[in-house]
Amino acid sequence: MSNFIPGQPLIAVVLRIEIKKLRQGDNLILGFSIGGGIDQDPGQNPFSDDKTDKGIYVTRITPGGPAEEADLRMGDKIMQVNGYDMTMMTHDQARKRLTKKNEDVVRLLVTRKSLEEAVKHSMGSYPRQ
Amino acid sequence: MFCRNQTARATVARGSALEMEIRRGKFRKSVFLDTSQDSDIQKKIDHEIRMRDGACKLLAACSQKDQALEAAKSLQTCSTRIMAYMSELQRMKEAQVMQKVTRRSSDAGPMDDRLPCKGKVAISDLRIPLMWKDTEYFKNKGELHRCAVFCLLQLGGEIFDTDMVIVDRTLTDICFDNTIVFNEASPGFEMRVELYSCCSEDDYSAGSTPRKLASKLSSSLGRSAGKKFRAAMEPGPCSPVSNGGATPLLLPVPSVPGPKYHLLAHTTMSLSHVQDSFRTHDLTISGNEECSYWLPLYGSMCCRLAAQPRCMTQQMMSGCLKVKQLGGDPQSWTKVYAVLKGTSLFCYHRQEDVEANVEPAFTIAINKETRIRASEKDPQSKVQNICISNQYGGEEVTHTLTTDSREDTHRWMEAFWQHFYDMSQWKQCCDDLMKIELPSPRKPAPLTPKQGSLYHEMVIESSDDLSSTVSDILARRMQELELRSQLGTSPTWMSLFEENNPKSACRPRPCTSRLSGHSPCTPHRLPRSPASPHRCPQLSLLSSDASLTSDSDSHCSTSPCFHRHGWPEPSPNFSLLSSSPSRLRPRTLSLDAKLSTLQGRGYRGGGTLQCLCQSPPSLLHGPLPVSSRSPRSQRSTQTTLSCSSSTSSNSSSNSEGRHSPESSDGAPFSRPSPARRSLRNLRARLDPRNWLQSQV
Repeated sequence: MSNFIPGQPLIAVVLRIEIKKLRQGDNLILGFSIGGGIDQDPGQNPFSDDKTDKGIYVTRITPGGPAEEADLRMGDKIMQVNGYDMTMMTHDQARKRLTKKNEDVVRLLVTRKSLEEAVKHSMGSYPRQ
Repeated sequence: MFCRNQTARATVARGSALEMEIRRGKFRKSVFLDTSQDSDIQKKIDHEIRMRDGACKLLAACSQKDQALEAAKSLQTCSTRIMAYMSELQRMKEAQVMQKVTRRSSDAGPMDDRLPCKGKVAISDLRIPLMWKDTEYFKNKGELHRCAVFCLLQLGGEIFDTDMVIVDRTLTDICFDNTIVFNEASPGFEMRVELYSCCSEDDYSAGSTPRKLASKLSSSLGRSAGKKFRAAMEPGPCSPVSNGGATPLLLPVPSVPGPKYHLLAHTTMSLSHVQDSFRTHDLTISGNEECSYWLPLYGSMCCRLAAQPRCMTQQMMSGCLKVKQLGGDPQSWTKVYAVLKGTSLFCYHRQEDVEANVEPAFTIAINKETRIRASEKDPQSKVQNICISNQYGGEEVTHTLTTDSREDTHRWMEAFWQHFYDMSQWKQCCDDLMKIELPSPRKPAPLTPKQGSLYHEMVIESSDDLSSTVSDILARRMQELELRSQLGTSPTWMSLFEENNPKSACRPRPCTSRLSGHSPCTPHRLPRSPASPHRCPQLSLLSSDASLTSDSDSHCSTSPCFHRHGWPEPSPNFSLLSSSPSRLRPRTLSLDAKLSTLQGRGYRGGGTLQCLCQSPPSLLHGPLPVSSRSPRSQRSTQTTLSCSSSTSSNSSSNSEGRHSPESSDGAPFSRPSPARRSLRNLRARLDPRNWLQSQV
């Protein structure tokens, strides 16, 4: 969760997570909840470091769901979904992008604080933006 | 300076201002010798006269108010410039004559008077506050009394004008954005700032005549008026005829129909006003309330007046020296290439370092506290040393310089003396280098109002409306990427998209525009993945351009189609929302359409399946986290009213919703019924205090 300046290119260390949607009757389930969005109040996001970050965060993982199997964690910030950027999305847009009927699999790029720490420690001087 | 043994004849252009003056006996031709300065000024005068004539013609010919005001401004500027040049010419002539006289009478003594170096003076960010009566300021009715104003700045022989600004009672200050730089200013400069204004309401008649009379006059031209105008149209030499021989200088401002500027206020600035920050200066106001060009000035002017003397910006002296620090080893002379500039003497190891921008070996401060003296002759080399003493902190540090010859030493001493003199003359400008921003090459002044209407701003700001440009950009990128694509085989999931195309074609909601819109949609999605670094280990560095890609999504998710189709029936097929006829939508939506899309979006929220609040209790602080829809949907009064009036019911209904999914443990992914969902979602979304969470 490096400093995010809207409109400027962003560099982040991300993790690829592939979630296969689970079919439950008519619905395709991913098994997690998201919070945040550019139309939301970022100060109420308990997971973000930067309280002005209006990105999409994973707020809950349903136990036993596809997201948990794919090792998505609570507090992850979703950067991309199937190639579409999620850092500048309204909440609704983000939700829709994740719940497309015609997509059985979502490939997420997520970032989490522990990742950045790990990279920083392993690389020594991490070129932070 | 003229040379007495050279006979040169000045060539005076026929019909020029100078010729007229000669004819009128004001200058004897014999006095004219072809010095370069004279011919320069003469050329400038001729140029300005031509400009003035052009402005007169333009003024007479143009019909639009803006053009007329600009032309009148140029006319005023040209007239002022001509006046200045003529007076300078006269002064030069007089000086030459005086010099001739004095040279004969007395011996030219040693030129003791030092002249300080010249410098650049820049004035920028001119702001003149206005003081409208509060009744005037808040008046909404009645015509707006508008004036066109501009500033003329004069320093030495240079005259510049600022851009014209239209002022009416909605402005609190007159601001001129120009930066004006005068290049040849001496420390004793006097810069005259004049504010000219012209009422920009009247019909353009000569002078400020009452309207009825003005219209009568403009339609009929009497013999004498006609003669005057004709005379005004023709170039310079004829105009003095109409003026009589009274004025010593050639300066009738031809009376042409059109706006005329009057002097509203003026002030003079000098070295004492120079500072590296903004300062307020007093204005002397001429004119009173009765004048048509009157503006209620507060009486002061703010600006930034900066000066860069040459001694601060240029190398005053450079050469090779040998430097030794006092108290050091008597034989430890360091050979340096020294450059005197600004407040220091930079000593470089080699001359090439100066151009190469290498840091100097050391720097000796040369400022007001420095003391320089020549020491006694060195018994060995018979050359005087120069001692430079500075106070660094509490200590006095002395450097000794020596050169190779007496002439060099003398030149260096002379340079130091000149530098000190310059610093004493330019005073506060030599403490630190003041920044002067050179004005960038001027673009032609746009005659359109600088502020667009709020309407335009609103449309552009919305992310939705960039969709068609974004889709164009994406199409281009896609082509680029296809060319550049390194992929041998496409990833397996890409077949998903191809397969899905026919699926999308048989959507229960037939909408041809949407279908055609959808297929261009999908190809857009394809390059997204090849774009991102793939075939890499899990941890990868990603750069993404946030604003661009989000727009690509938005056009898929919003659609004015909803407006056309009315209320979409709440169906579980929420993916309907994802297609849109991007190509068919016009580039900019009208405000109405925009509001209706927002409205549609708001209603569509009712049709979604997503419930909220599956968040663990630990996250809940305060009211239930629900989202706020955009507050711009003013049309959806029904929903906003319901939101504001029933926040308590909001939370209660939400809690209902929350408990029901949680209670049914067996099916943690089930969703509440559509009807309750729609109302609850809507209310929840419209409450701005909450942080919405959705389950996917």
